[in-house]
Amino acid sequence: MRRLHRYFFRWQNWVALFLVLVFIGVAVAAPNLSPDDPKNPGPFMQVGRATDLQVHPPSEEAILGTLPRGIDIYHALVWGSRDALQFGLIVTVSTALFGIFYGSLAGIISHRAGGLLMSIADAFIAFPPIAGVVFLQQLFAATITAMGGLYFKREGFGEVIDIVGPVTPIQALLETIDPLMFCLIVLSWMPYARLVHSIVLTLRDTEFVQAARALGGNSLWVIRKHLISNSFEPAMVLAARDVGGVVLFQATLTFIGIGGGSVWGVMLAQGRNWVIAPGGNLFTYWWVFLPPTLAVMIFGIAWNMLGDGLSDILNPTSQHEFYSKSF
Amino acid sequence: MPPLLRFMIRRFMVVPVSLFIITLVLYAGVMLTPPEARVSLYLPERMNPHLTEEQLKEFIETVIEKRHLRDPFPIQYYYWVRSLFDESWGYSASMNELVLPALLRRTPITLELALYSLLFLIPLGLISGVISGWRRNGVFDSIFRGAAFLGTSMPMFILALVLLSVFYLNLGWFAPERISLPYSIEFSNGSFNQFTGIVTIDALLNARPDVFLDAWKHLAMPVFTLSLYHWATLARVARATMIAERDKPYILAARARGISERTVVWRHAYFNMLTPSLTSMTLSATSIVTGVFVSEIIFNFNGVSNVIIKAMSGIPDAPAALGFAIYSVVMILLLMFILDVLQALLDPRVREGILNS
Repeated sequence: MRRLHRYFFRWQNWVALFLVLVFIGVAVAAPNLSPDDPKNPGPFMQVGRATDLQVHPPSEEAILGTLPRGIDIYHALVWGSRDALQFGLIVTVSTALFGIFYGSLAGIISHRAGGLLMSIADAFIAFPPIAGVVFLQQLFAATITAMGGLYFKREGFGEVIDIVGPVTPIQALLETIDPLMFCLIVLSWMPYARLVHSIVLTLRDTEFVQAARALGGNSLWVIRKHLISNSFEPAMVLAARDVGGVVLFQATLTFIGIGGGSVWGVMLAQGRNWVIAPGGNLFTYWWVFLPPTLAVMIFGIAWNMLGDGLSDILNPTSQHEFYSKSF
Repeated sequence: MPPLLRFMIRRFMVVPVSLFIITLVLYAGVMLTPPEARVSLYLPERMNPHLTEEQLKEFIETVIEKRHLRDPFPIQYYYWVRSLFDESWGYSASMNELVLPALLRRTPITLELALYSLLFLIPLGLISGVISGWRRNGVFDSIFRGAAFLGTSMPMFILALVLLSVFYLNLGWFAPERISLPYSIEFSNGSFNQFTGIVTIDALLNARPDVFLDAWKHLAMPVFTLSLYHWATLARVARATMIAERDKPYILAARARGISERTVVWRHAYFNMLTPSLTSMTLSATSIVTGVFVSEIIFNFNGVSNVIIKAMSGIPDAPAALGFAIYSVVMILLLMFILDVLQALLDPRVREGILNS
């Protein structure tokens, strides 16, 4: 209870919790907030003619206006938050779990082997996810091509990879994997591993862990029962901040056309000609630019502030300044 | 041996180790594909377009034989690494060019952007962090906290959109791309000597202030976009460290000796603040280089990231993707090395290895 009290001491934490809950609420209630078009489900619902390349301001049938080709912005915004939340949580939870496992493993085994594991982790820090995504997509493309499939990207709202002709199980599997998600999971566990490693190293020789050992507990049990449970909370702070960071990164890569299927990123990429092409204006065509921008920004801010609030609970003397973002 | 040199040598040893681990993982990824797909890393620049299907198969088979593509992983890896040193990293179909020359040719443009951003954001981040941390809750601190909050929460591509819309489209002060069209024609017909490839420096060497100004007109937006986020992160760390330093006894001792406020800040507290700040900078080196690529793509610079844009354009191009990955890792490792050396240069404790950086 005292911890909760400490959390709600700062107004920023109220705001953070509220915003995160709003995003979760929107994501859960997406089918009620904006029912899908039964003929053409998905985040991009057409309310106008598909040949209409103009954007239209808010009206009766589209509350927040439309993108080119009659795509409803409100619908995409609502379903985009479900998408973003899903992506952020999957990536963060899997990275955090793997990082915690890796770090505690490196802490518990012999000093030399642990050092080797950590130097592998340190090497990974120098690998940029943007290069990883491109590399992975090319690998997939090369494999699909070498197995006799024809591979091409369908442009438009959310790029889709299509394979022509009969599809083998491996090709089908490669088609379903999201390279960006895979890449982020593989390339952003290092901060967790480092954090947990340092915690485990300080805890390893404390009395209670020694006692657990003396009781005859084997290494895995000690890791799970005592070391992971003690490093879980600091890792949570990192994870909360990462959810926002991961989604921002996905939107960025989608916007520049490197991959990833962020709905908000696609919205901005599709509407960008009304903002930065000749004749475009930020203020005239605000409905093209503002909704996805605010969604992306507020999503990032909310999770960052939630992370700050969590570190309030766990470490009251911290200054909220040590942001760690791995990309 | 002077301590700084010893530090540099010790620190530089990390680079090949990291590079070894990463190339190992990369090639393990390549190994997941069938040998017929791996051949694309070794295809020559000019293939005879009139080969029949039979002949093509035969040719691929000879490449597989020659490059040991059916052998176990360590052997294949060894031959691949050797080919990295001997050859030009394969032929990229999407660029119609060898990968290594293509990367190196675009390097100065990327380097220029990264260099100016770092020169801009490191001093600015440190100074603003020190001032706002020293006078906590003062006027400057309030303004700073607002700006830093905006800086960390504004995604780079959205900031770029706003800048482009306001300053390029509607005001016309700045422009995307590397250089204006008349100058780029001058570049290509050779009347402008390209000594280094870095346009601003070349302009000064050629005594052409107009080119210099034009280059800055195009650099301003990407440099600002890139700097804002990292400036905010760095300055926040600097501010927090400064707040922690402010209450330490040595500051009180310095004040008791009657040392002026300015000296206390800039000669006593400042140097103790440097190490944590620069460490945070080193840890975000990957993020900085990624940011360079992203802002290059958005502002349409013809830099190194152009390679991946082309590789993603449709034609499968594994050599370009792999080459880009290795290249960017090398770049990040060098940036980390430079930042660590800078830290050692400024802080004798790091140099002597007393304080682990």
